[in-house]
Amino acid sequence: MKNRGATILAIIGAALLILPLVVHDTFVLRVLTEGVMWIGLAIAFDVIAGYTGYLNFGHGAFFGIGAYTIGILMMQAHLPFWAALPAGGVAAGIVALIAGIPTLRLKGAYFAIATWALSRAIQQLALNMEMTGGPDGMRLEAFLNPQFFYYLMLITVGATFAILWYLLERAPFGLKLKAIREDEEGAKALGLNPTKLKMQSFILSALPTGILGGIYAYWITFIDPSSTLGDLVSDQAVVMVVFGGMGTLFGPALGAILIFAFKTIFWAYLSDFQLLYLIILGALIAISVIFIPNGLWGTLVKRKAGATRPEQKAEPASEPAALSAVAAPEEGN
Amino acid sequence: MAEPILKVNSVTKCFGGLTAVDDVSFSVEKGEIVGLIGPNGAGKTTLFNVISGYYAPTKGNVIFQGNDISGKPPYDLAGVGIGRTFQVVKPFAGLTVLENVTIASFLKHPKKADAERHAWQVLETTGLADRANVSAAGLTLAGRKRLEISKALALEPSFLLLDEVVAGLNPTEADRTVELIMKLKAQGLTILIVEHIMRVIMNISDRLVVLNFGKKIAEGTPSEVSSDPHVVQAYFGEEAA
Repeated sequence: MKNRGATILAIIGAALLILPLVVHDTFVLRVLTEGVMWIGLAIAFDVIAGYTGYLNFGHGAFFGIGAYTIGILMMQAHLPFWAALPAGGVAAGIVALIAGIPTLRLKGAYFAIATWALSRAIQQLALNMEMTGGPDGMRLEAFLNPQFFYYLMLITVGATFAILWYLLERAPFGLKLKAIREDEEGAKALGLNPTKLKMQSFILSALPTGILGGIYAYWITFIDPSSTLGDLVSDQAVVMVVFGGMGTLFGPALGAILIFAFKTIFWAYLSDFQLLYLIILGALIAISVIFIPNGLWGTLVKRKAGATRPEQKAEPASEPAALSAVAAPEEGN
Repeated sequence: MAEPILKVNSVTKCFGGLTAVDDVSFSVEKGEIVGLIGPNGAGKTTLFNVISGYYAPTKGNVIFQGNDISGKPPYDLAGVGIGRTFQVVKPFAGLTVLENVTIASFLKHPKKADAERHAWQVLETTGLADRANVSAAGLTLAGRKRLEISKALALEPSFLLLDEVVAGLNPTEADRTVELIMKLKAQGLTILIVEHIMRVIMNISDRLVVLNFGKKIAEGTPSEVSSDPHVVQAYFGEEAA
């Protein structure tokens, strides 16, 4: 089971690596690059939303912050792309840290509303500041090499997936986050500091998102407040993760692939797509929440039977029957 | 007599105008089982929450192994050796029983494989090993109470606070839990227990502390306490006393 999973992953990985050598159509490559990017955005979103249970409706803000950081550093500070790129992740991480202090105290819908409001505020900042170019946006130096961006996106998302998978599924960190998600008060009694863990989770979610935003900015060469800081990035991330299956990493990746494929096909055949697409997106959230609360992955792939019991000690199990014979009659409640 | 493991000094806890715990003092010696009893609303759970760090006392302090722990957060107290269960059980419902206990084991076993191995040992002790891969949401009430104890034990505490781990169980289950508590005492664990079922609390406690309306009204061995007129009055009313 586990080996088969690893084999499938290896095949997909190899196929993705070879693809640009076979596919020369720039449009196809561009679609694939964006698809890979969405996998990255969805799995990063899953860290805080799926594993930690905090539905962040401002995920797009981290993406936009990364994009603008790279834009400003490259165009105004004249830094080379490679020097600017990590700064995109760091900037998103710092904003997560600052925004997390007040918002991570909130729960459920309150957290969702607060993060949504925060992302609106950041969009307003981008619209009104001179450094960001206001509503006109910002044009970056063009570097037209589709293969380069495809591979850069693939490597970044692949590395993000590997790191997150290790931290969340192999290291204790993932289980600790799930404990916070399930019962924060109960987790405290077991030595877990929820504030610290939630903060780490939020930053871990923001870092790769900021980096992906930076790559996106350099790739598309034009960013403006509506394309990188609009609602769509957050909304799509939410749908991909909820539809795919929260807290599973693979589910959000699957959700990202399916939703992005749907969006691309939809766009190719229907010109008046934006409004209709948003309506369908909204309906899809409602449908997934009602009919497949565990998401596609959670519904299709049942959790493994789990750990196997180690060899039992020689000590025999206690005999409850003998004890209850001695027991005094129950005195009710 | 050696220094007591826990000293509660004149602890008062108010919520607005309500005094839930009123100037309560007592101590627990190492290796003892002390029962905390009292009618509903007497302040037992509030006192538990003060001792385990969920509430800071309004007045007074709590000394654990010689250090003032009042107002320290629960996750730090877990680190110094205080384990607790919750009257309203708090299982991580979406996770398996083993995962629930493994999370607690991380405190002393930071590596996942070690924590998991330790969690298995705990589950063998508490009799939940057969249910290890079941989702915690799928346990019966008895199972969930055992899970509470398992999680607290996985912290490898020196002092255990048990909040109504027997109430609501059938006699067989109750006896198994009592047997487990006695086993833990034999291993040297110090236990403070809140329980409503008198048969249980009278049998297992070395000493009892009785609360009523937030105040301590009696303290002593079970036989002393059960003949104390204040206690009788609190439980059975004016005339009986």
